[in-house]
Amino acid sequence: MKNIGDKLSVLIFSSIILIPLFLALDRLVWVAGFDPVRWFSSIEANHLSQGSVGFTFLQAILSTIATIAIGLPIAWQLGRYKWRGTGLMRAVLTMPFVIPSIIAAMGFLAFVGPHGMGLRADQDTHLWTLIIAHAWFNMALVIRFTEPVLSTLDRDLEDQLRLLPGGKTFWGKLKNLWIPLLTPSIAAAACMTFIFSFTSFALVRWITPLESTLETVLADVGERAGILGYEEYTNDLVLASSLIQFTVMLASLWLMSWLQEKRQSLLPQASENSNLKPNPRGLLILVPGLFFALAPLVTVAWSSFRIPVREQGELTYHWGVEGWIEAWSGGYSNTGVGDALLNSLGYAGITLIVALPLGWSLAKTIHELELSKSKWARILDVFTMLPFAFSAVMIGLGVLLGILKLDGELNSLWLLPVLPHIMLTTPFVVRIMLPAFRGLDPSYDEGARILGLSHRARFWKIKLPLLRGPLLVAITFTLAMSLGEFGASWVVARSGEWDTLPVLIDSLRSRTGWDPLIQPTAAAAATTLMLITLLLFLTVERFRPKGEGGMF
Amino acid sequence: MRAGTLVFALLLIMPTISGCITDIIDSGFENDQVTGPDTELVIVTYDVSGLTDSMLAEFENQTGFEVTLIKLGDAGSILDHLLQHKGAQSADLALGLDNTYLQTAIDAGVLVEHLAQVENLSDSALEPYDGPLAVPFDQGWICLNYDTDKVDGENLTIPISLWDLTQEEWRGRVVVPSPATSSPGRAFMTTTTDYFSNDGDNSTEWTDWWSAMSDNDLIITSGWSEAYETHYTGGYGEWTDGHIGDAYLTVSYCHSPGVEAYFGGNWTHSAALDLDGASFHQVEYVAAIDGGNLIAASAFIEYLTSESVNANMPIENYMYPALDGMDLPEPDGYRYHSIVPTTSADVSMSTIAVEMDDWISDWNAAVL
Amino acid sequence: MLKCSGLTKAYSKMLFENLDLELGAGEIAAITGPSGCGKTTLLRCICGLEELDSGEITLNGEDITSVRTEDRGVGLIFQKPVLYPHLDVGGNLRLAGENIEKALSEVGLEGFATRSIASLSGGEGQRVALARALLARPKILLLDEPFSSLDHELSLRLVEDVRTVLKQRNCSAILVTHNREEAAKFADIILEIF
Repeated sequence: MKNIGDKLSVLIFSSIILIPLFLALDRLVWVAGFDPVRWFSSIEANHLSQGSVGFTFLQAILSTIATIAIGLPIAWQLGRYKWRGTGLMRAVLTMPFVIPSIIAAMGFLAFVGPHGMGLRADQDTHLWTLIIAHAWFNMALVIRFTEPVLSTLDRDLEDQLRLLPGGKTFWGKLKNLWIPLLTPSIAAAACMTFIFSFTSFALVRWITPLESTLETVLADVGERAGILGYEEYTNDLVLASSLIQFTVMLASLWLMSWLQEKRQSLLPQASENSNLKPNPRGLLILVPGLFFALAPLVTVAWSSFRIPVREQGELTYHWGVEGWIEAWSGGYSNTGVGDALLNSLGYAGITLIVALPLGWSLAKTIHELELSKSKWARILDVFTMLPFAFSAVMIGLGVLLGILKLDGELNSLWLLPVLPHIMLTTPFVVRIMLPAFRGLDPSYDEGARILGLSHRARFWKIKLPLLRGPLLVAITFTLAMSLGEFGASWVVARSGEWDTLPVLIDSLRSRTGWDPLIQPTAAAAATTLMLITLLLFLTVERFRPKGEGGMF
Repeated sequence: MRAGTLVFALLLIMPTISGCITDIIDSGFENDQVTGPDTELVIVTYDVSGLTDSMLAEFENQTGFEVTLIKLGDAGSILDHLLQHKGAQSADLALGLDNTYLQTAIDAGVLVEHLAQVENLSDSALEPYDGPLAVPFDQGWICLNYDTDKVDGENLTIPISLWDLTQEEWRGRVVVPSPATSSPGRAFMTTTTDYFSNDGDNSTEWTDWWSAMSDNDLIITSGWSEAYETHYTGGYGEWTDGHIGDAYLTVSYCHSPGVEAYFGGNWTHSAALDLDGASFHQVEYVAAIDGGNLIAASAFIEYLTSESVNANMPIENYMYPALDGMDLPEPDGYRYHSIVPTTSADVSMSTIAVEMDDWISDWNAAVL
Repeated sequence: MLKCSGLTKAYSKMLFENLDLELGAGEIAAITGPSGCGKTTLLRCICGLEELDSGEITLNGEDITSVRTEDRGVGLIFQKPVLYPHLDVGGNLRLAGENIEKALSEVGLEGFATRSIASLSGGEGQRVALARALLARPKILLLDEPFSSLDHELSLRLVEDVRTVLKQRNCSAILVTHNREEAAKFADIILEIF
């Protein structure tokens, strides 16, 4: 950390992350009193959180298993074989990860609900719907992590093994090549999936309304916490839920960071083109996979044109664009889709301006620490992932309880909702830029220094253009994540005219009373957000560095 | 999110508001304030998705105030917000506190006397609270609703006492929103405390009923929407994607079947249950916040309680108006399918404010 | 002109200790020795990419020991040519100076300015790297086994070509190599490290 700017970035990031959370924690403990035994026992002692720890673990573990089970065969087919249109297939199959979770929830409900496939007839099917939805959402992680290992594997390694006693049998190959080669990648993907499922908010909120996870408990009671003499039991719940969540997430992230390093060392040095000729049977995996990836999205778009008509006890449908008209005119909400979209884009833009340089600088600092073999590298690495551990709702609460307490006027501050966006997107920038820095040949910089290029000239003429690919990926990711952010926005800011698109969609969905146009209107708003996300995603797919094995 | 009520599309149909705010503005009182820097009105309310641009624009046009909304989860969230920001309020007006929350807000000193001239409020609307710190703008009665198709079809007995719901035939068929997270849930729990103290049976407490219900697989949801839309078979929820439909009886309003009929083409298979003492008279209030823009808040209070705006409560907000002589509209069976309960629970606002924390904690122990 | 005295550098083991080296104007030296003996590190120290543990380097009488790499006026050609893939040949040269056509013709690559880096062969790549290094007008050019990845015939031809260009410009140079034949053909003096 030689550079002042880098020190500053670590400082800024630390303050953005730690100050609100520290203040919030301070306040909660002040109200609740320091009594951890009571905090933790409150979870099972309270009806609204009873069983939430168990359910959070259960659904996260099952979701992780399902994600691997669905994602791995797809990654195998994509990575091992040279299909026509691999790029497009990969884009479609990994796209769900950037789709805002609220849209995913709508898609799944419409798909399995009483007016879709009718698969969600009772409470027992909720858990399965949630798990499948989590698998849908996270299968991109499995593909992104394992596919580069498979596609860049030097065929010589495989061929050599066949000639050795250890590689004669199928099990031998599995034991001696595939398992050791793929395990770190699969484990890393499993770790990330576990983290995202553990803290999933919108999907749980919509798909399993009867069950609570720690995240939904936080969302349910968080806004009432921190007030002396008023519903003080909520403080125990918030403290216990967030501390449990934080501990589990921190452990997962530490494991994740360790696995990433192990994985990096196992990542075969890219052989140019090692893909095999595909076997048509692979289509039995890819085609259902593509269908699975697209079905909820198509369902959302489709239901935006499907207007229900009630005739006494009968429900029929007609097709029309009324939903779209209502969505854009804002007849059902504080703002129309157009304004909400502008708000969302405004937030996303500001988020980008802060998160991108911040994440870049943090990634660079971590990389430099790694080069100097400092033990601080791992610590800073995990530290930058902390927002994953805090989860969107916790971050939102941190801002609410930590910052808004300082001054109520801040509540009407237009910029306030951007803060959680910055917290949540900066880690993604770091995750994307760090492998890029690691992969950048240091002699490029040295060569330019020899030629006498100044620090500034090297940055603009050499480093920036060379890192253009990952940089574009980071930009798109930041924009997509910010556009789709729901949990933190939901907690911090729902102040009417500054509604973002996901908050608008949620409030449309939550509208009480029967109106045939509500669902099409919500679906039209969701489709708009979805199309923008897709556009961003497909644009950037072209710039994604091949076989770089980055996280996202 | 929740609370069946406040969908606030107080749409376009707003004529000029009469009353004293116009006078205040005319009198030059406004020269310091209204035309000064503070022409902004910040309203803290819950997710009133129907509080539309057009309605706000109407108010803005008439008064020159600029409205900003802070939207929160439910009526309880408004109180949370006011308490969270005590002493440094960012809002000028609280819209949607009901009589289960109002006393706490008053006791906390976060409300202030308004300047609006409000006339012609009905006696029933003024029944829980008749003071200067809050003005009722709508009301309704919370009670049990049941699905007539299911009850007929499966030969269930229509309950004549809350105890009937603890019978085997109702196992897993009753849904209620949690009093810990929902205001209708709070109201209904409050009702049960009163109901079982007047049932002439001293051997059982209200919590015993809740325990028995819990043993009978009572479904408890976080909010009204999850209970009514997701689980209840008798409501409009059956037409939505998230519907499950496993409960035949739920907590809602005594006029919910009327709302169903009105929006369903005079057709509903939901009915309200008129059990003596098992309903709760709920009044919702609009109140000026201490430290806020009092003039603007008062202008909005007058606007909301003006005849033409308030008369639209049944259509836009699914609630009874707060003004005298107004009722639910008759078309499409709105009034026909709605009932006004014979006897509601009799629990004062101050009792609620004092007891609520203990009640919730007792309730929690009973259903755990 | 280049004078190194008492150069010392160690990582986990001692690479060189108290090394002295002197080179006159226009003189070309070669340093040979087995791999891992610190030849590359010595060049990196002279151009400032690595810090010396102790010692002093002067160039044309000026002490450059603690001058930044960017300002030392020392050129370096890496083992594998460092050419920026986001720029074409001309763009790569322009990083060092303007007169690119002349620089290209000097290394026998007339008309290569618009070629992409990916289209170059190994020998062409090293020639572009050389042209670029010379375009920056270094006071001394350091070459770190630049011919080792090329086949025998090509490397011998390139050795001669590079020597010719350097001599024409009267530019002093140090070549590091493990190949004695190459060293003999290229250099005026040979220094051996063990």
